[in-house]
Amino acid sequence: MSILRRSSLRYLIRHPWQTGLAVVGVALGVAVVVSIDLANASARQAFTLSTEAVTGRTTHQIVGGPRGLPDAVFRRIVLEAGVERAAPVVEDYVTLPATPGEPARVLHLLGLDPFSEQPFRPYLGAPGQGGARESSGPSLDLGPLLTRPAAGVLASSTAQDMGLERGNSFHVRVEGKDRAVELVGTLAPEDENTRRAIADLLVMDVAAAQELLGRVGRLDRIDLIIPDGAEGGRLLDRVEAVLPPGAQILPAGSRERTTEEMTRAFRLNLTALSLLALVCGLFLIYNTITFSVVQRRTLIGTLRALGVTREEVFSLVLGEAAVVALLGTAAGLGAGVLLGQGLVRLVTQTINDLYFVVTVRDLAVPAWTLAKGAALGVGATLLAALAPAFEATQAPPRAVLTRSALEARLRRALPRATALGAGLLLLGTGLLAIPGNRLGLSFAGLFAVIVGFALLAPGATVLLMRSLRPAMGAAFGVLGRMAASGVVAALSRTAVAIAALVIAVSVTVGVGVMIDSFRRTVVRWLEMSLQADIYASVPSRAGGFSGGTIPPEVARRAAALPGVVRANLLRRIELPSPAGPVRMVALGTDLANLRSSFELAEGDPDEVWPAFQAGDAVVVSEPFSHRTGIEAGGEIRLRTGRGERAFRVAGIYYDYASDRGIVLMSRSTYLKYWGDPTLSGFSLDLAPGADPDRVIEGARNVAGGQALAIQSNRSLKRISLEIFDRTFLITSVLRMLAGLVAFVGVLSSLMALQLERARELGVLRANGLTPGQVWQLVTSQTGLLGLAAGLLSVPVGLALAAVMIYVINRRSFGWTIRMEVSPEVLLQALFLALAAALLAGLYPAYRMARTSPAVALREE
Amino acid sequence: MATAPSPAPLIELRGLTKEYEEGGRRRVVLKGADASIRRGELAVLLGRSGSGKSTLLNLLSGIDLADAGEVVIDGVSLSTLSERERTLFRRDRIGFVFQFFNLIPTLTVEENLLLPLELKGKLRPEQRREALALLEEVGLADRAGSFPDRLSGGEQQRVAVARALAHDPILVLADEPTGNLDLETGLQVLELLDRLTRQAGKTMVMVTHSQEVVGIADRVFRIEDCKLVERVEEQS
Repeated sequence: MSILRRSSLRYLIRHPWQTGLAVVGVALGVAVVVSIDLANASARQAFTLSTEAVTGRTTHQIVGGPRGLPDAVFRRIVLEAGVERAAPVVEDYVTLPATPGEPARVLHLLGLDPFSEQPFRPYLGAPGQGGARESSGPSLDLGPLLTRPAAGVLASSTAQDMGLERGNSFHVRVEGKDRAVELVGTLAPEDENTRRAIADLLVMDVAAAQELLGRVGRLDRIDLIIPDGAEGGRLLDRVEAVLPPGAQILPAGSRERTTEEMTRAFRLNLTALSLLALVCGLFLIYNTITFSVVQRRTLIGTLRALGVTREEVFSLVLGEAAVVALLGTAAGLGAGVLLGQGLVRLVTQTINDLYFVVTVRDLAVPAWTLAKGAALGVGATLLAALAPAFEATQAPPRAVLTRSALEARLRRALPRATALGAGLLLLGTGLLAIPGNRLGLSFAGLFAVIVGFALLAPGATVLLMRSLRPAMGAAFGVLGRMAASGVVAALSRTAVAIAALVIAVSVTVGVGVMIDSFRRTVVRWLEMSLQADIYASVPSRAGGFSGGTIPPEVARRAAALPGVVRANLLRRIELPSPAGPVRMVALGTDLANLRSSFELAEGDPDEVWPAFQAGDAVVVSEPFSHRTGIEAGGEIRLRTGRGERAFRVAGIYYDYASDRGIVLMSRSTYLKYWGDPTLSGFSLDLAPGADPDRVIEGARNVAGGQALAIQSNRSLKRISLEIFDRTFLITSVLRMLAGLVAFVGVLSSLMALQLERARELGVLRANGLTPGQVWQLVTSQTGLLGLAAGLLSVPVGLALAAVMIYVINRRSFGWTIRMEVSPEVLLQALFLALAAALLAGLYPAYRMARTSPAVALREE
Repeated sequence: MATAPSPAPLIELRGLTKEYEEGGRRRVVLKGADASIRRGELAVLLGRSGSGKSTLLNLLSGIDLADAGEVVIDGVSLSTLSERERTLFRRDRIGFVFQFFNLIPTLTVEENLLLPLELKGKLRPEQRREALALLEEVGLADRAGSFPDRLSGGEQQRVAVARALAHDPILVLADEPTGNLDLETGLQVLELLDRLTRQAGKTMVMVTHSQEVVGIADRVFRIEDCKLVERVEEQS
């Protein structure tokens, strides 16, 4: 190692606080980005693997309407259309109830025909052939699947986890009822991917699965393997010809693609939030490197006089940044993997609550994600160090530049920085104003706004300090005035510290106001849309759009219970379409209820609801309109039980239940076109004074053997808000982590700033300042910095909240959120900034107060 | 004591003018300075504080450029060189001794000494031996592994003298090298500088207020009213 590099390295080692905090800043930033990336990647990988396991080599799938396909369709496909490679499938999610020490677990139940399976899912093998090895023998005998009632096969690892052996029975919960399944075999594929993919699979014979799910005689889909080319085309035509109305052929990959699309905005938002943490980290790096350059201006000047070229100085400073970057990135990657373990649970929980069922057993750690994280960490650190490294090359030989000259130069540059900040603000606003749903552009706009505000911070600080100086003087005398002047006098350091703190706290304010506004909007929406007293539905997962149904008689009997005024009937279905499944709700209620339960974003209620009740007109939710681009007055084509049909979209209503969107249809229209009288749930309006508990008990009794999840209005609202809070938990965690990175940044910069003042404080001590007064001076100065940052972060945070609410959220999910600002969020921001700054001042104040003035003077 | 200076000039100043801008006004520091210093000479530069002595040293080393006129060192006109070329010129041919020593605090005494050599290119073993011999000569061989903050002011300046000579420069520029030392230590450092530069036939330009230096100098210059004047009567 060259002597210059050695000197550089020793500088880092001799300033452990400075170097350590910079490394921590990079590490935290990288850890947050990597952990979110890993959590997203793991959820995607788990979903892809399980989809591939279920899809196998299928090229096309035949799907039906809300009640699936009759068994007979399969026979017609094989016999009449002449398709050799076709396999009937029944599928759903069932729950393994929680046991002491083991949480509840969701299994993907796949009902298959062993005779048709061979070409489709190779890991299952075929009867008598044993394509997969059984854990206890050479091959899996699928025979018992056909002959034993409720027989099932699990992955050997899953059976082992559950402590099951062949011949044992276990219980699964299907739509609220416990059903016994006998384990007749296990699967132990050799490759790791298949092992992970089938870890949550319960394979049964198709007839046993139909029996277990209460879908006797009905299939969820038929898988096909259709060759490419003309021959395949002809085969598809023959299949099309024998399909009943309401059934359609979809390419097998469409489900994976649409679910991928479904979570895109969610993942992008998480990534953007994690990048915010990195941005805070970058401010820290910039600050640390700038500080190290300013601190060594004499040294760099000497080196230049000795013949060290500008390029060598530049490379020296960048080399130091590279060391910090490498250490921080390495630590960040490790911490990211650890953090990812926790975050993957939150991400998976949100995906399960909002989108689809996915179980993530292990955190996948793809090398690509780590490489990306490493490149980002090192690249971003070097980028942040570029400006200070360039600044270092400008240091004139022999250190002619004094500190005061540097500050004077910075103050001269202040108008330019302010103008640049204003320019970036304008640019960001311009980018945000570009119409369309390009999220990348919106986030670029958001980041430009953030950096713009950061550049405005120094100018605003100078103004603020000038206005605070008299008050500080009046309150604390000369020390107060010194504290206020000190902030401006050392602007080369304080400006970056304040900017970093402003950004971090404003992110906290912005995200806090956004979540708070969203929650209040959802509470109001719940108040409006949940007006009935009692709600009954099929116990199910994934937002109640899975297959379970209730016979309409149950609702009729419940409506006849004493105290019940009216039953509102509800059917939730998912209609397959080439552009992804369409979630539809068929509602049987009266006009008055519709008017009071749904607020229209577009359309006149006096026209929309009568048209809705009259038939052939639907109302779509705001996210649906946003996602599909279908507006009020347009039309939507749906595959009904009578074939494809167009429905007029009479209006658009506010809805916050799903970002995928919902099509609302009257029950009479649904019955007319789908002929499906079953229900997914119903709600009961009670007469004044009726006892809800007695009605709930009565409803359970009239349900007979039908399992029902019955909830009062209050408990349903509570559960809905619980889900809301759960889905925003990850956002809150990221908000906290960004705050933590900023806190480290502030700690480092303020500590460095105060420690650098050792000589100045030594002179003051020598001139009679008591240790107590040193405390007062240091803490009041850092307190002022915190106050400045807290005050500046409020308007910046509100601006960020507005951007997130009106631009980012709207473009990501299509939700209209009313921005509401609670004073607590703003006070929290002020408190956070002040606390961070005061804490950062503690150590330097302690050290300065304890150090003898002679030592402090000598240290310079 | 001193060897006879070679008649060929090493430094030529031709009509050198330098101005600075201060508070929006131009301030002339040097105006039309002419001088010629021969190889092996010890030239002393006197003048009041702020008279432009350090500016002249900066111009001699190529750290700064004149507004008019020319600095020619060893036949090379510095104004014709780019910033990078001037830096490399300095690295190869000039040694510096500063008032405040300016040793690199994160390098040991030995590393400080070797730095100029390494900057010139790959360090050869014989160069390292010569540098250590130089350290021996300034009486600090036993402190080779120490960091500068462990040394006294006089010791630090002795290391600085050794560093200025380690890469065998043709010209040594010293900016008040005794200004931060007590009288006795200052004299020791002066003796060392004189011995190591003039005896080795190197040229030295020294800014100083010390009358002792004036006594041993070959040439004495003074900056007065922005003019560079040679004080012949002060030569001994």
